Amino acid sequence: MLHWVEKFILSWSIIVIAIMTVGNVISRELTGSSWAFSQEISRLAVIMATFMGISYAARKGRHITMSAFFDLSPKIVKKALSILNPLVSAIVLFVIAYFAYEYMMSTYASGRTTAALQIPIWIMVMFVPLGLVLGGIQFLRNMWVNIVNEEVYLAQDKKDYDEQ
Amino acid sequence: ACGSDEDAGTDNGAADGDGDETYELRFATEEYEGQLQYEYAREFAELLEEKTDGRITTSVYEFGGLGSEVDQFEMIQNGGVEFAIVSPGFTGTTVREGQLFALQFLFSDDEDVNYQVLNESEALNEDLAAKYEERNVKPLAFWSEGGMQWTGNRELREPSDFEGFRMRTQESSLILRSYEAYGADPTPLSWAELYSSLQLGNVDGQENPIFFIEDANFHEVQDHMTISDHNIYVAMTTVNADFYNDLPDDLRQAVDETVDEMRPAAQEMQLEMNEELLTAIEEDDANPTEIYTLSEEERNAFRELAIPMQDYFRDDVGEDGAAILDKLLEEIEEAEGN
Amino acid sequence: MVWTLLAIMVILLLLGFPMMIPLIVAPLVVMLIYFDNLDPMMMAGQLVEGVSAYVLLAVPLFIFAADIMSTGKTSRRLLDFVGSFVGHLRGGYAITTAAACTLFGSISGSTQATVVAIGKPMRERLLKVGYKDSSAIALIINASDVALLIPPSIGMIIYALVTGTSTGDLFIAGIGPGLLIFICFAIYAYIHARIFNIPLVEKAPWNVRFSLTGKALLPLGFPFIIVGGIYTGYFTPTEAAGVAVLYALLLEVVIYRSVKVTDIPGIALSTGLVTSAVFVLVAGGQAFSWVISYAQIPQMLTEAVMGTDPSALYVLMIIALFFFIGCMFVDPIVVILILTPIFWRPAMEAGIDPVHLGVVITYQAALGSATPPFGVDIFTASAVFNKSYLDVIKGTPPYIIILLFIGILVILFEEISLFFLYLL
Ligand code: NA
Ligand code: NA
Repeated sequence: MLHWVEKFILSWSIIVIAIMTVGNVISRELTGSSWAFSQEISRLAVIMATFMGISYAARKGRHITMSAFFDLSPKIVKKALSILNPLVSAIVLFVIAYFAYEYMMSTYASGRTTAALQIPIWIMVMFVPLGLVLGGIQFLRNMWVNIVNEEVYLAQDKKDYDEQ
Repeated sequence: ACGSDEDAGTDNGAADGDGDETYELRFATEEYEGQLQYEYAREFAELLEEKTDGRITTSVYEFGGLGSEVDQFEMIQNGGVEFAIVSPGFTGTTVREGQLFALQFLFSDDEDVNYQVLNESEALNEDLAAKYEERNVKPLAFWSEGGMQWTGNRELREPSDFEGFRMRTQESSLILRSYEAYGADPTPLSWAELYSSLQLGNVDGQENPIFFIEDANFHEVQDHMTISDHNIYVAMTTVNADFYNDLPDDLRQAVDETVDEMRPAAQEMQLEMNEELLTAIEEDDANPTEIYTLSEEERNAFRELAIPMQDYFRDDVGEDGAAILDKLLEEIEEAEGN
Repeated sequence: MVWTLLAIMVILLLLGFPMMIPLIVAPLVVMLIYFDNLDPMMMAGQLVEGVSAYVLLAVPLFIFAADIMSTGKTSRRLLDFVGSFVGHLRGGYAITTAAACTLFGSISGSTQATVVAIGKPMRERLLKVGYKDSSAIALIINASDVALLIPPSIGMIIYALVTGTSTGDLFIAGIGPGLLIFICFAIYAYIHARIFNIPLVEKAPWNVRFSLTGKALLPLGFPFIIVGGIYTGYFTPTEAAGVAVLYALLLEVVIYRSVKVTDIPGIALSTGLVTSAVFVLVAGGQAFSWVISYAQIPQMLTEAVMGTDPSALYVLMIIALFFFIGCMFVDPIVVILILTPIFWRPAMEAGIDPVHLGVVITYQAALGSATPPFGVDIFTASAVFNKSYLDVIKGTPPYIIILLFIGILVILFEEISLFFLYLL
């Protein structure tokens, strides 16, 4: 279910950005007035896509990684790294999520809003800690598949190239 | 290469002055080297170091590295920087009362009156300042970066010239509405994209003080400039309130003295820079710009459309803001009477 | 402090962490150790700030347009069209690959999208006419670099974001070096085919060529709409990206009917996935830049490398070197985000044209990201083709020599980048 929600948010953020950008051009060329709200909606959508996408990309093993040494390592090293790395990544994401939560609370307290639609900034920021926590959980899952399985998994849904 | 490893703020140990504690401070500005805010901050830093016999040294940051203007405002709130120059325009979504500086034709047409009002106004230096102090930011001085002027790809002399004109503005509902009142199609745009948007004709014009127009080369991509003085660009010199209140008395006094000595210096810098760069625009034959100064009559036509925005401000921002505005209007009138 | 920062970055990168982790950890640790007056929550604010710029919207939009077209028929139509004209020449399939990458690069802003759209179908054809797999893959990843230079370009969008240079001018200035790469690759393809005796393919008759040209006509309108639209002031680069999506949908959904409306969310999902993977780096890059600016590391660094009053050529060489090395380790977008502000002031003081600088930087980023030992494109190709790291890099040396040579030309002769701007 959660997985479905993540995918839904990810794909519709992109579609919304496209609609806002194209709509703004069309409205300006046809009626001569711009959509003042289009940038703010798009900004919200980009933030959602970026941070809510972390866990999905982690699950699919799509985060950009310099894997040269990993690829050249013997299996035993790969196995160790494939358990250690997701664990450390998860911890890092949880720590940042905590700071992001504090930041969200500070934007909540300040009452800052966007200019045109007056969307409270904390609503935009909210997706940062949320996305980071979900991302952290996914990295723990990536670690788990490597603990319970004998093969090396680059991510929950992606085996190492040597294993394919 | 670990240059400035030392933490900013109190160096070590005893916070309450043993008299020789030193401070390494940070001063954030919203402009680049060579522009007013940066030069102001640099002079401020030198003066303060001199006054404190080197006990306070201050690094000045130009715009960019520390994030957007809004980020910088957050940093001064949190003590990430001790000093900052803040344009109230960028804080209008946090301290809503600060939006009053976006009201066009609010200040006097007389530079000296405005100088006096900014320095002495109770409405600004006490009432509005209190609103910022609630956010842990203490405004030390309000000062002008010069009159705001219009540039456009066509001549702007009367409100009807704004019909269908795509005016680039800062992101502020008050500014948007002000230009809608002139009949324009206001378009909020980050200034990083402004030059190319003017060049390509995505937007038709913009507003800024002269020094900024020249420095950002907007005149290169605009055929007309209107000396409208429809507003003055007000900047605030601010300090993190906690830091300021915890300073030993002698150092706090040095800060206050520096602020006061910077008042005439900033005014002089502003007048000089704007005049010099106006000449530069006039004399730039490679990029000719038609410069037109509005007559009093022409300005009144705009003034008439701009004044009702004060009511919008009163309704939108609420009681405290309305009271600050009313008091400020009285103070301006009084200063003009003298 | 500089060493702490570097050590964390390098160790975590070598251990194979997703790049966003070192990018976040390094500045966080520096902040916690050296700057106790900086509230760490401000770093979260920088993550948000990093992805908030309006120009960045162009990135997911251009990727979306490319994804729609590689799902549909556009990329194959481009391949067939180019192939019918040059496929029969000596090295014709390699030339076709280079030309198709250049054409698709004019639709897509990213090298990765080009590797997927052109590389996948083209690799099969190359293998069929007798190319070794290693030389096919090397050709594909290096030719895809052109996508970063030919407009639209994500690298240039990021550069424009950081420096305030006109994206439109940068786009135009990328055309010259992009075409130069294509020409050199085409010449090399000819020589390579001679040496390895790649068999010739039958020439396509003119009626086939006409019909394939007709089919490719609409996709070929793309570059004109994008560059033309930006240049006549119809829309900003970001809006051009939106228009590209609209055009792609019009082609694939309405005209060719090769993509169903119900397919769109699925395509958007794959775009979203790439966007997220790239934008977490942009967000982290902002946090990183913010901390090093706060620590005033850029000033120290430029004083140390640049000395006083360096010549423009020296500055350009140093910049090229730093970007080349940086892109060997880190994603080009991150390198542009972090290094550009560091070198901006000395470059401007040396009188370098900001557009030319943007082209040099983007060129180095493109080159570095396809260069062993490390390089994002290599890893993309390894994922796309399911090949190990070594298999992917085996064939790259000749291309890298060519690209280095062109790189020097681009630095020495600013006309290569500015020529098309003079025409306008
Ligand atoms: Na491109
Ligand atoms: Na590389």
